[in-house]
Amino acid sequence: MGVEDLALHNNYMIFVSIVLPILAGVLLLVTPDRVFKSRQMLINMTAVSFVVCALSPVLVILRQTGNTLLLFFLVDEIPVFFAVDHLGRIFAGIVLLVFLLAGFFSFVYMSHEKNEKRYYGFYLITFGVLLGLCFSGNLVTLYLFYEFMTLVSMPLVLHTGSKEAVMAGLKYLFYSFCGAYMALFGIYFLYQYAIAFDDVEYQLWSGGYETSRHMLSFVSGGSLDLKAVAESGNTAFCLIAVFMMIVGFGVKAGCFPFHAWLPAAHPVAPAPASAFLSGIIVKGGVLAIVRTVYYVVGAEFLRGTWVQAVWASLAVVTLLMGSSLAFKEKVLKKRLAYSTVSNLSYILLGLSMLNETAFTGSILHVVFHAVIKSALFLSAGALIFITGNTKVNDFMGLGKRMPVLFWCYTIVSLGLIGIPPTSGVVSKWYLAVGCLESGLTGLSWIGPAALLISALLTAGYLLPISVRAFLKETDYEAVRNDYKEPRPLMLAPVVILAAVTLVLGLYPTPLIQLIQSVIAAGLF
Amino acid sequence: MIFGLILTVILLPFAGGMLLQVLKFKEKKYKQCYIFSYVLLNTLLTYVLLSQGTTNLIRVINFAGEKLDFSFKIDGMSMVFAGLVATLWPLATLYSFPYMEHEHNGRVHENIFYMFYTATYGVTLGIAMSGNLLTMYCFYELLTLVTVPLVMHTLTREAVHASRKYFYYSLGGAAFAFLGLIFLLVYGDSLAFTYGGVLNLSKVQNQKDLLLLIYVLAFLGFGVKAAVCPFNSWLPQAGVAPTPVTALLHAVAVVKSGAFAIMRLTFYGFGTRFLQGTWAQYLLLAIVIFTIFYGSSMAVKETHIKRRLAFSTISNLSYILFGVLIMTPLGLAGALCHMVFHGVMKICSFFCAGAFITQAHVNYVHELNGMAKRMPKVFAVFTVASLALMGVPGLCGFVSKWHLAKAAFASGNLLAVVGVGVLLISALLTAIYMLSIVIRAYFPGNAFDYGTLHEEICDPDWRMMLPFLLFVAAMVVFGVYSAPFVEFFAGVAGGLI
Repeated sequence: MGVEDLALHNNYMIFVSIVLPILAGVLLLVTPDRVFKSRQMLINMTAVSFVVCALSPVLVILRQTGNTLLLFFLVDEIPVFFAVDHLGRIFAGIVLLVFLLAGFFSFVYMSHEKNEKRYYGFYLITFGVLLGLCFSGNLVTLYLFYEFMTLVSMPLVLHTGSKEAVMAGLKYLFYSFCGAYMALFGIYFLYQYAIAFDDVEYQLWSGGYETSRHMLSFVSGGSLDLKAVAESGNTAFCLIAVFMMIVGFGVKAGCFPFHAWLPAAHPVAPAPASAFLSGIIVKGGVLAIVRTVYYVVGAEFLRGTWVQAVWASLAVVTLLMGSSLAFKEKVLKKRLAYSTVSNLSYILLGLSMLNETAFTGSILHVVFHAVIKSALFLSAGALIFITGNTKVNDFMGLGKRMPVLFWCYTIVSLGLIGIPPTSGVVSKWYLAVGCLESGLTGLSWIGPAALLISALLTAGYLLPISVRAFLKETDYEAVRNDYKEPRPLMLAPVVILAAVTLVLGLYPTPLIQLIQSVIAAGLF
Repeated sequence: MIFGLILTVILLPFAGGMLLQVLKFKEKKYKQCYIFSYVLLNTLLTYVLLSQGTTNLIRVINFAGEKLDFSFKIDGMSMVFAGLVATLWPLATLYSFPYMEHEHNGRVHENIFYMFYTATYGVTLGIAMSGNLLTMYCFYELLTLVTVPLVMHTLTREAVHASRKYFYYSLGGAAFAFLGLIFLLVYGDSLAFTYGGVLNLSKVQNQKDLLLLIYVLAFLGFGVKAAVCPFNSWLPQAGVAPTPVTALLHAVAVVKSGAFAIMRLTFYGFGTRFLQGTWAQYLLLAIVIFTIFYGSSMAVKETHIKRRLAFSTISNLSYILFGVLIMTPLGLAGALCHMVFHGVMKICSFFCAGAFITQAHVNYVHELNGMAKRMPKVFAVFTVASLALMGVPGLCGFVSKWHLAKAAFASGNLLAVVGVGVLLISALLTAIYMLSIVIRAYFPGNAFDYGTLHEEICDPDWRMMLPFLLFVAAMVVFGVYSAPFVEFFAGVAGGLI
C-alpha cells in the first residue's frame, strides 16, 4: 500500500483539533488591543474560543477506528504522522480537563494581571501543541511538538515580567532545550535501527495497514530492529542513546539532575498557568519517555540493564529530594512545585520498573497527579488572589471564612498523600506492588520504602496548612472580615477537581481497564 | 551558446557596474532601478543557463601543457551554488537600497560600492562554474580583490584595519591552496574536476603522508574564507562593512565560496577514497568540530549583534565542513543541504540586524529591549530565523542537521559521532544567543519603560520587507517539504548530477 491509500484512513479532525487552538491563539495575539472594547468582551471571546477548541479533541478522543492522520514527509521516511491510541486518549483527556478548568479559573484570576490577551493567546497555543503531542504517531512528530511545547509555554512562565520571572523563563527554556537536544541525539541514533512499517506487519487500531515508508513510529512493544543492533555490536552504544533520551525527556519531568528549573519556573507564572504547567506540561516529558521506552525501543531491551537501574535510582533520589525540599519550603507555590518534582518521580519510578503493575500505577498517577496538582495550584491561586499572601503560614484561621475552598484543598491533599478514599491511594498501591514485583536487587524494596517516606513528608507539607486554617491557633476574630469564599467561577474548578479526585479514588475501575487495554496491545 | 551564457553571467555584473560610473542619473530612483534591473537580468540568465542542465568541460584558453587550462563546467555542485547565489543577489540588492540611504557617507562612494557589490556576483558565479582547480583558484583570488573595497566602504579606521586583515588572511590562505593545486598538478591526471578525485595513485606510492599534509594545508588555506579556527578572526571584524555586504558576502557568497572550494578539493581533487580513514581526515574533523563549538561559544559571549551573527556563521560554516569531512556521499549531501539552508537563515538574520541599524540605530544586544513593540514584523522574522538556526523541526535548520547527523552515524566514524554531540551542544548555544535577543525584545520586563524608545522607530519599507517575506517562506517550505531538494543534493553528492 502506498501513501495515497493511507490517505483514505486520514481523520482530518485530528489536524483541526490541533490547529484550531493554535490559530485562535495566534489570532488573539495579533489582534490589536483596541478591538476589544472592554475586558468583558475579551473574556467572552476567549471563553467562546476555549469551548470551541475543546470540542474537536473530544470528537477525536471518542472516535474508535481510523483515528490516524498522515500529513507530509518531514525528513526521509519520517512523516508528520498522528495516531490516537488509548494512551494518547488518556493524556489528551487530562489535558482537556485541566485546560478548561484552569482556563475558566483564569478569567477571574487574571483580572489582577497585565497583558491578559497575551496570556490567553499563548494559553490556547500551548493547548493545541499539547494535543499534538498526545496524538503524535511517531518519534519525530512527537519531538516537533515537544520543542514547540517549550517555546509556546515559556511566555506563560515569564508573563508577570518581573526580573525573577524572566530569569526563570530563561532557565526553563535552556534546561528544556538541553534535554530536547539530548533526546535528539538519541533519535538520530535510533533512526539507524528503525524498522520500516511493513517489516513489523503493523496492525494499527484503525484496522491495520502496511506501508514501507514509516520509520520510528510508535508500536506497542517497540519498533526497533534489535537484532540489527546486536549484530552491529552497538548494544552498549544504543543503551547510552536510550539513556540520554530518558534523561533528556526527563528534564521536562523535573528529574534529577535537571530538576532545578521546575521550582523556579512553575511558581512565578500566574496561578492558573502554574496549574497547567505543573499538572499537564510536565506530563509531556512523561509521555515522551513512555513513547520512547515502550513504543520505540521496547521494554525488553532495557530490562535488567544498567539503564534501568540508574533510571530507577535517579527517580528515587528525585522523589525523596523533592519531598524534603517541599517540606522545607515556606512559599506555598514553590512548595507545590517541589511536590511536583517528587510526584513526577513516582511516575518515572513506576515506568522504570518495566512491568505491567508499575506501568498501570504510573499512568494512574499521571491522571491523578494532574487533577490533584491543578486543584492545589488553583486553590493556592485563589488564596493569593483573595489575601495577597504567598507564605504557607499566612493562611491561619482562614478555614472558617472559606470552608469550601479549604475542604477541597484538604481532600486533594489527602489524595496526594494517598489516604483512602481519595485517588492517590490507588496509584501508589500499584506503584508499590509494581516495585516489589520488579525483582530488581535493592530497588524493589527501596522504591516502596521511598514512596512511604515521601508520603509522610507529603502529609507534613500539605496538611499543616489545612490544620492551621481550620483549627484554632489564632483568634478567628483576627481574620479579616472581607476574606470570603472566592467567586463561583473561581471556586467551581477547584470543587470539580476535588470531586474528580474522590470519584476516581472510589471508582477507578474504568480507568484501570483503559490502562489494561493499553498494556494488552502488546506493550510487554 | 552555453559558453556565451556563462561568459555573459560572469561579465554582465562587471559591465553593469562599470557603466554605473559613467552614466548620470537624474534621480536616485532611476539609478536604483538600473542597478536592480541588471542584477535581476543576470539572475534570470543564470536560471536559463542552469536549466540547460549539466555540461561537459568547456576549455577556453590553454596555458603551457595539457593540464593547465582555463575552463568552465556546469555540474550539480555548480548548480547548487550558482542557484543559491543567483537567488539571493537580487534580494540583497533590493535590500541594500534603503540600507545605503542610511549610511552616512553613502552618497560619496555609493557608485563604487555598487560596482564592487555587483562585480562580486560575477566572480562568485565564476567560482561556481569553474571547470578545474586553476580556474577556480583565479576566481577565488579575484573574489578577495573585489570584496576588499566593500569591507573598507565606511573608511573608518576600524574598517580599514578590518579590510587589511581580511586581505592578508585571504591571500595567505590562497597561497596554501595554491600548494594543493601544484601537488595535484604533479600527482594527478588532470586538474579538471572529476567526481572521485584526480590523484593518480600509481604516482603517489610512498608519498602518501606528504600528500595528506598538502591536503591539510590546502584545506586550511581555503578554510580561511570558510573561517575555520584558528583563521576566523577576520570574519567578525569584517562585520564593520555595510550590512548588505555582511549578510550576502560574509554569510553566503564569500564564506561559502571557501566551503565550496573545499568540497571541490576533497571530492573532486584529492578524492575521498584516498583521504578516508587517514590522519588528515581525523585531524581536520577535530579542528572543524572545535570550530563549531568555538564559534557558538563566542557568539554567546559577544554582545554586538552583527559580530554575534558572524560568530554564529563561523560555527555554521563548520557544520558544512563537518559534512564534507565525513567524506561519504551522505555527508556531502548534508553539507550541501546546510550550505543552502544556512544561506537563507543567516542572510535573513543579518538583514534583521541591518533593519535594527537603519530603523533604530542599534548595534548592541542590550539596546534591543522592548523593540519588538516598535518593529513587530522584523522581530517576527527574526524569531523564525532564530528557531530555524536552532533546528526546530518544521523549519529548514532541522532538515540539514538531520542529514548531517544521519551521515555521521552511517559513516561509523566515532569522531563524527562525537561531532554530532557537539552539533547539538552548539544548537543549545544557538538557542541561548538567538533567543536571548528575542526574549529581550518581546519581554523587556516590568521595569522597562516603552517611552524610552523613539516614536519614529518602525518596520522598514517594502524593499526590506519583501526579502524578509521570501526568506521566511523559504525557511518554512524547506522545512516541511525538503524531499525534492534533498534528493537533488543526494544526486549531486553521489556524483550522478
